[in-house]
Amino acid sequence: MMRRFLRDNSMSIVFLLLFLAALFGQAIAGHADFNDETQSHGDPTISLGRYVLSSEFGAAVMENWQSEYLQFTLFILLTVWLLQRGSPESKELDKAGRESDEQQKVGRHAQQNSPRWAKLEGIPRTLYENSLVLVMTTFWLGTWLAQSLTGAAQYNADQLDHREDPVSWSHYITTADFWENTLQNWQSEFLAVGSMAILAVYLRQRGSPESKPVGSPHGTTGVEG
Amino acid sequence: MAQRFHAALADGDGQAACDELSEETASKLEQQEKKPCEEAILSLELVKGGTVADTRVYVTGALTTLAGGRSDFLDEGPDGWRVSAAGCEATAPSQPYDCELED
Repeated sequence: MMRRFLRDNSMSIVFLLLFLAALFGQAIAGHADFNDETQSHGDPTISLGRYVLSSEFGAAVMENWQSEYLQFTLFILLTVWLLQRGSPESKELDKAGRESDEQQKVGRHAQQNSPRWAKLEGIPRTLYENSLVLVMTTFWLGTWLAQSLTGAAQYNADQLDHREDPVSWSHYITTADFWENTLQNWQSEFLAVGSMAILAVYLRQRGSPESKPVGSPHGTTGVEG
Repeated sequence: MAQRFHAALADGDGQAACDELSEETASKLEQQEKKPCEEAILSLELVKGGTVADTRVYVTGALTTLAGGRSDFLDEGPDGWRVSAAGCEATAPSQPYDCELED
């Protein structure tokens, strides 16, 4: 029973454990780095617990989270219309767009075991049809807002260290500091998605659903292994 | 914290005022004035008494402005908040404050 549960959910369980281990590692390394930095300025050190609750740690975590959620939001949304010939990340070339109700198995084309909201009409179905992007967008905007708030606190801590006036949140989001922290994360996400889309045309990973079957021709689009 | 510091100055209690300073700031003051902190602190032109009008806290730093307009900078350490600069006045926008006492 337990073994079956672990096997059936191994992907989410392993990634959750990897996430927690990496976050813990980041907290340990970030705390050590923070205290090295404060000591070099002659400032007092802080405890690990205080560091984990600080905007310093919050900003470092949030700037990465927001870019990941943006990446998935854009990937989910843009692949409705954008295609890549030969890529398993793309739909078949004649399927660009939102597709018909029949293809999407909604409304009167819903199957008996389709989700209840897929069988409805009107706003509930529109919400359900877009629920993945709506939730991912909410996570993205929420974490981006959190990055801006924690980043502003961190920026202002530096301002005080230099004996300068703190700035408001609305001023902070126009600073080069905010946009550098944002864009350095965005560029890496866009590169990763773009390279995955094109490399998967020519390269394979036997057994992975993210790859085409090893023997599939390079020109075959929209087939996952 | 800042209020206690200024109250100690108003009482002429240099030791109590020095207890509110960060270690670095107290030792810089002693080096500059070539006197023990509790004596040197009373010779500075700092606000004696007064109430805190505004406090803004960011991570482990804080800026406290007194009712008269002068400000103090505080740092949070293992023993709590300590004054790291006092008697500070803004000089120009985007420029550092000019402080009577700092680390």
